Amino acid sequence: MGKIDIKNLTVEYTEKNHSFKALDNVSFSVEPGEFVSIIGSSGCGKSTLLSILEGINSPADGTVLIDGKPVSGTGFDRGVVLQHYSLFPWMTARKNIAFGIKQAKKELKKDERLKIADEFLEKVGLEEFKSKYPKQLSGGMQQRVAIARALAMDTDILLMDEPFGAVDAKNRTILQELLLSLWEGSKKTVVFVTHDIDEAIFLSDKIIMMSTRPGRVHKEIQVPFKRPRNRTELIGLKEYNDFRNELISLFYSDIVDKIGGDEVVL
Amino acid sequence: MTKKRRFLKATNILFIVLLLVQLLPNRVSGETHTAYLVGFALVLEALAVAASILSKNEKGLNLSLDIIGFLYALIIVWTVVTAKFNILNEALFPPLGKVFWQLIQDAGKILVNIKSSLGIIVQGYLIAVIIAIPLGLFFGWSVRLGNAATYISKFLGSIPPIVYIPYGIALLPTFRSVSVFVIFLATFWPVLASTMSGVLNVDKKTVDSAKVLNVSKFTMLFSVMLPAALPQIFIGCNQGLSVSFILLTSAEMIGAQNGMGYYIKQYSDFGDYTRTIVGLLVIGAVIMMISFLFNKLQTYLLRWKQ
Repeated sequence: MGKIDIKNLTVEYTEKNHSFKALDNVSFSVEPGEFVSIIGSSGCGKSTLLSILEGINSPADGTVLIDGKPVSGTGFDRGVVLQHYSLFPWMTARKNIAFGIKQAKKELKKDERLKIADEFLEKVGLEEFKSKYPKQLSGGMQQRVAIARALAMDTDILLMDEPFGAVDAKNRTILQELLLSLWEGSKKTVVFVTHDIDEAIFLSDKIIMMSTRPGRVHKEIQVPFKRPRNRTELIGLKEYNDFRNELISLFYSDIVDKIGGDEVVL
Repeated sequence: MTKKRRFLKATNILFIVLLLVQLLPNRVSGETHTAYLVGFALVLEALAVAASILSKNEKGLNLSLDIIGFLYALIIVWTVVTAKFNILNEALFPPLGKVFWQLIQDAGKILVNIKSSLGIIVQGYLIAVIIAIPLGLFFGWSVRLGNAATYISKFLGSIPPIVYIPYGIALLPTFRSVSVFVIFLATFWPVLASTMSGVLNVDKKTVDSAKVLNVSKFTMLFSVMLPAALPQIFIGCNQGLSVSFILLTSAEMIGAQNGMGYYIKQYSDFGDYTRTIVGLLVIGAVIMMISFLFNKLQTYLLRWKQ
């Protein structure tokens, strides 16, 4: 039994009287402490999949188990980082984190919560910005706060939906390294949605590649590089480039197949 | 700008003109109380000089000087057409000095009336806000109830609260309680409506990011929906406040035994238009001050939006 077990998951959306399948018969498992990336082009249902794990959406068919128990609604065992709007604009960075802690750990007193919030602000390098509101922070800083909150809530599972998708390239690499350094040794299970192949390789133990319309698991791939990983070393390796090329051809073969089959999705 | 040029502004020139105008002979029969007028002008000029010396912000200084200049111009015109040339009816348009004199004579009485008016406003307004916001959050959050409540509140809210006064007099023991009730209605419906629409318009992503934190229903309503909807809620609160003042002063003119509306009505009935004007000026000043404080509160509570 894995930390997360998904079996034959099907999700349907109804829009203006016709329903379509966002996910069709998706199955995979995530081991405890594993870092899994879900990758695919837009419309492959990767965000839908994550919202099922979050407990915001419910499946039409199939089972989703966490620690062997079916997911029903949101839960204290999962921390979430979204691409946008994770933070509450009316709370300062510090208050946002403390608010998250308060929900997850009701037994803590206010000053204990604030102390943990400050610790995590320091970990993400934002101790000087603790009294700032999200609007006063850059996109990258906001994501740091969101990550700090999810980590401070100290959940077993972290669910991340393209958390660095709206951050510029330079800050994205910095945030990836920050995330890895915070994750390593934390034993947390991470499900990370992205459309960036390099990001997926650098971060993950396992990559689930999705195909589009309806969203299916195209391929499940183990990432063969040992940790801790060094980005510059990794990029220099021949194995890395071979692996990356293989992933890219897999990524596009799905799209090419569909064009060949008269089903143009681009 | 040099110090010297700061004092050569139109405002200061108008101040001198204002003083010179006072030297013209009076043509009205009654007392003009010119000393009170000059006293008021001196206070304004002291403010202008203090601002010129202390202010570091050029724009802010110009604004305050312009406002004071406008007041000077108004005083000059008023003095010329009343006390000095007696162009207007003396009883209907008293000299400004007399108005200030009356204001100071009546200060105690006016304070009592302001206290009475504000007491009613605060009571009716606060009760309305305290009930309307939680109800609006609750109705807005449960979509089905919210849709029905929107129509009902639209109907009930469209009844001008002032028409409840005759019914209120029959229902309630005192005129004061009638006034509180009417202000309650004037505030309740707009605040309820704006809270509901505020909650309905909260970004779904904000709701989702609260849901994934596993918040309780109470936390969702009061720690998430309330602040998220607050910009909208303030629209209703603002509307309620301005309507409340209109209603209260109207109600006080109909049947109250005190309050600023009563003060104006009583003295204009006796043909004392000096006191009528005093009443108008005081009401203007009080409402302006309350709006100012209210805006400060709003800016503070919504500081995260800037």
